[in-house]
Amino acid sequence: MWENRCKVAISGVGYSKATRSADIPLAAHALEAVRGAVADSGLRMEDIDGLATYPELPATGHAEVDGISVVSVNCMMAMLKLPALTWHIQVGTTNIGGALQQATNALLAGVCKYAVVWRAMHNPSGTYQNLPGNMAAGAAQFTGPFGFGGPGQGMAVAYTRWLEKNVQTRDKMATLAVTQRKHTQHNPHAYFYGTELTREDYFASRMVAYPFCLFDCDIPVQGAVAVVLTLADRARDLKPAPAYLAGYGQRLHFETAGRIGSLSSYMEGGSSSAKLTWERSGFTPKDVDVAQIYDGFSASVIYGLESYGFCKEGEALDFIQDGRIELDGELPLNTFGGSLGTGRIHGLWHIIEGALQASGRAGSRQVKDVNVSFVGASAPIVTGTTFIFVKEPY
Amino acid sequence: MSDWSKVTRPIPVPNEWTRPFWAAAKRESLELQRCQSCGHFQHPPFATCTQCISIDLKFEPVRGVGTIYAYTIMYHTGDKRFASAVPYASIVVELDDAPGALMAGNLLGVEYTEAKVGRRVEVVFEKLNDDITLPQWRLAND
Ligand SMILES: [Zn+2]
Repeated sequence: MWENRCKVAISGVGYSKATRSADIPLAAHALEAVRGAVADSGLRMEDIDGLATYPELPATGHAEVDGISVVSVNCMMAMLKLPALTWHIQVGTTNIGGALQQATNALLAGVCKYAVVWRAMHNPSGTYQNLPGNMAAGAAQFTGPFGFGGPGQGMAVAYTRWLEKNVQTRDKMATLAVTQRKHTQHNPHAYFYGTELTREDYFASRMVAYPFCLFDCDIPVQGAVAVVLTLADRARDLKPAPAYLAGYGQRLHFETAGRIGSLSSYMEGGSSSAKLTWERSGFTPKDVDVAQIYDGFSASVIYGLESYGFCKEGEALDFIQDGRIELDGELPLNTFGGSLGTGRIHGLWHIIEGALQASGRAGSRQVKDVNVSFVGASAPIVTGTTFIFVKEPY
Repeated sequence: MSDWSKVTRPIPVPNEWTRPFWAAAKRESLELQRCQSCGHFQHPPFATCTQCISIDLKFEPVRGVGTIYAYTIMYHTGDKRFASAVPYASIVVELDDAPGALMAGNLLGVEYTEAKVGRRVEVVFEKLNDDITLPQWRLAND
């Protein structure tokens, strides 16, 4: 087991409004979320001495303007001018989960006391994947000429492989989309709060990249979320009940750029990351009371459930049936609605929900008797970043 | 059938790793990077052998026959260069001679609904300009 098990906790959480269009600069969304998280903890802004983020915009063909399309650490520093700032980082390879893990390490190293981690996501006007030009350079020279443009198709090919290899049909995925939308109705911060989704809606929706229909893809939004992270001893003195971090893991897969469709590489990042998380926390998938699994595309949940060890390979679409992922089911899943419900903010919202469920602060969507709360905060194809939060730090 | 006539395919830009692949394709030959230490074929080209880490890699001819490993049918028209062809099948092919070396392409000459995992395909060459010819795929008869 990890020697630092339960020594760090998530305290406050904060949100901006998730909107479809970018009416105000993204920096304003990030600021709102960060202020919310600090206030939720009962701290003052001048107490914050650590900052971490992953600022990437997953859209293509749009200018990157700090404060408009991304919110870098530098941008946040310029806004807040924190007098006590002693540590900051902006991660590159491991998505927002990696930023949270780096903040954990900094707290354990004693180089800061109260770290804020935020994820801000821009929705550019016009086509999200605005693939310009008539040339395909780098890894794209083997994919671009054939119309493999955005990440959706890269995910879709692995999904057809999974479906046909396992003799499954995409119809079963409707259960995920509909159940998560049901959960969304308990999350007033979510983009789709107040908008229901039926199985009929799912089957009637337009195809985007088969097997993905519209409701298999998270909707691009403009918004931000943030958390305050601190050592467990300090967290106990703050306003909210702490969510203790029992263990984490991260791992990229061993894949070369431009090679697409390999199902085993989709599983590898997740299984390697989860293995570290189970070993460090001392828990197994059977101990988990509630799970958040990254769902930017619905099929990511399949790769997550299987590679993390919640079910066997080829069984995930059967696993999610029969009420198992409902709030009172055997494994309540993406209880905040997931990215399919909140809009595209990436994995920090999954981490926030994992923490809220562990600390008993999830309101009307709170799962009963939660102690062990699992989070897979990124698509395994990109990188596995996994976490376990617990209510009781034993 | 998908109408490719109005599609503007982005032109591959060969680099020091990939130039031999495109030079061979121009001669309507399929050549993949092969490790001279362990014999492993790989695609896309990489700095080292992904099996044994050798840097002794050369391009060698392979037969242009294989199976559809995975596919997607594109309906979204966000990519304006391809919008006139939707719906179309983008496929990933695993060659008989190079297991694990996955090649992207389009399934040509048949309805997009013919794309299925495991279907046999063979290479056809589609000339883009004087320098670049794309390896593409049609259903095989074998
Ligand atoms: Zn080798």
